[in-house]
Amino acid sequence: MSLPPVFFHYFQTPLPYTRTLALQERIHQIQLASRRASCQHDILLLLQHRPVYTSGRRQTEHELQTERVRLTKLGADFVTTSRGGQLTYHGPGQLVGYPLLDLGRTSPPIGIREYICKMQKMIQSYLFSAHKLTHVPSEHTGVFLDPATKVASIGVQVRHRLTTHGFAMNVTQEPLEWFNKVIACGLADVKAGCIALAAGEQTQVHDVVEGVVDAFSQSYGRDMEKLELESAGELGKAILELELEALEAGGWPRIPIS
Amino acid sequence: MFSAIRQVTRARVSLPLRATRSCLPQVSRLPAHRTIVTKRYTEDHESVTFDDATGLGSITITDHAQQTLGDVVFVELPTVGSKFSKGDKLGAVESVKAASDIYAPVSGEVVEVNERLDGEPGLVNRSPDDEGWLCKIKLSEPKEIDKLLTLEAYVKTYEP
Repeated sequence: MSLPPVFFHYFQTPLPYTRTLALQERIHQIQLASRRASCQHDILLLLQHRPVYTSGRRQTEHELQTERVRLTKLGADFVTTSRGGQLTYHGPGQLVGYPLLDLGRTSPPIGIREYICKMQKMIQSYLFSAHKLTHVPSEHTGVFLDPATKVASIGVQVRHRLTTHGFAMNVTQEPLEWFNKVIACGLADVKAGCIALAAGEQTQVHDVVEGVVDAFSQSYGRDMEKLELESAGELGKAILELELEALEAGGWPRIPIS
Repeated sequence: MFSAIRQVTRARVSLPLRATRSCLPQVSRLPAHRTIVTKRYTEDHESVTFDDATGLGSITITDHAQQTLGDVVFVELPTVGSKFSKGDKLGAVESVKAASDIYAPVSGEVVEVNERLDGEPGLVNRSPDDEGWLCKIKLSEPKEIDKLLTLEAYVKTYEP
């Protein structure tokens, strides 16, 4: 049985986090509803965010209160989410990927550990094939260039076998100053790295999109197809709306406000 | 790995006495006491072990689930006293940076949660059916148990 393609879309402008989360939720609900008619699509959203710190579901609002105040003063948003994993940063210069897949599409369904494993492998193989960067194995989920340098993070939520959230990979140096303001992912001895520094290249986020889509295709064994927004109905409209909102939001601080 | 547990225990306290001439004391016969414990599954890999004597269902995730999840690092449990309808989100299990929602297989009120999971979330991996139990629910609709999957039907949902 051959699987339908995964439809991908790359957003041109950095997106506000909360509105993107709302889009993910909307797509999740559409997928849940269309499951009965077996016509739901698997989607991969590729984007950047405006500066934001996000936490996973392990941390309580109470614990995060001081951090929330401190970090919003730097000029970033702060949002608590239901994904796995802990505190992290998203912002321009970092490619964020949200695979919204139905793990139950295959028989047998893809297990969560396997899903995460494929995500990690995808990033590792992209880094090597496109930038000659080798990763080091780690007991921690994510991709490390050395035991103290993390270049990509993963944090996912699964409900009824439908995935939301995903991965984030640092491309330029822009995210690094923001990462320095926190202990990301609960790892005190680890600093954020990026492709540009590690590979000595002037890579921008839009440069990596095609390679990441290919790597995704290889790792998950799926054909990839660019989403045509005009013929994508409700989904296409929602994506266009978000693109417009992002443009209207204007500029963002390049470095944390001291 | 497991079989649907169906135990019928019958305890009779004393035998009826025959005839009359014996000088043994008359002992009244207590009603027969029978416990039925039923284990059922959902497609989302939860299980409920229901004891009809107490009306309580013990909720776990299955061994298959813990295998496909990976090492559990955090378990989000409902609060005691909260009420759920079948299918409502009950909590979540987090492993390898993936938070997987758990759903109530039956409707009822949470009467107990496994506090050990707070400090030892790995219990869910080591002993998913026993020490890694998640919570106990007082079923509001015991008949819902009959609509859930037997072990055989459950295994079919994930085996190729």
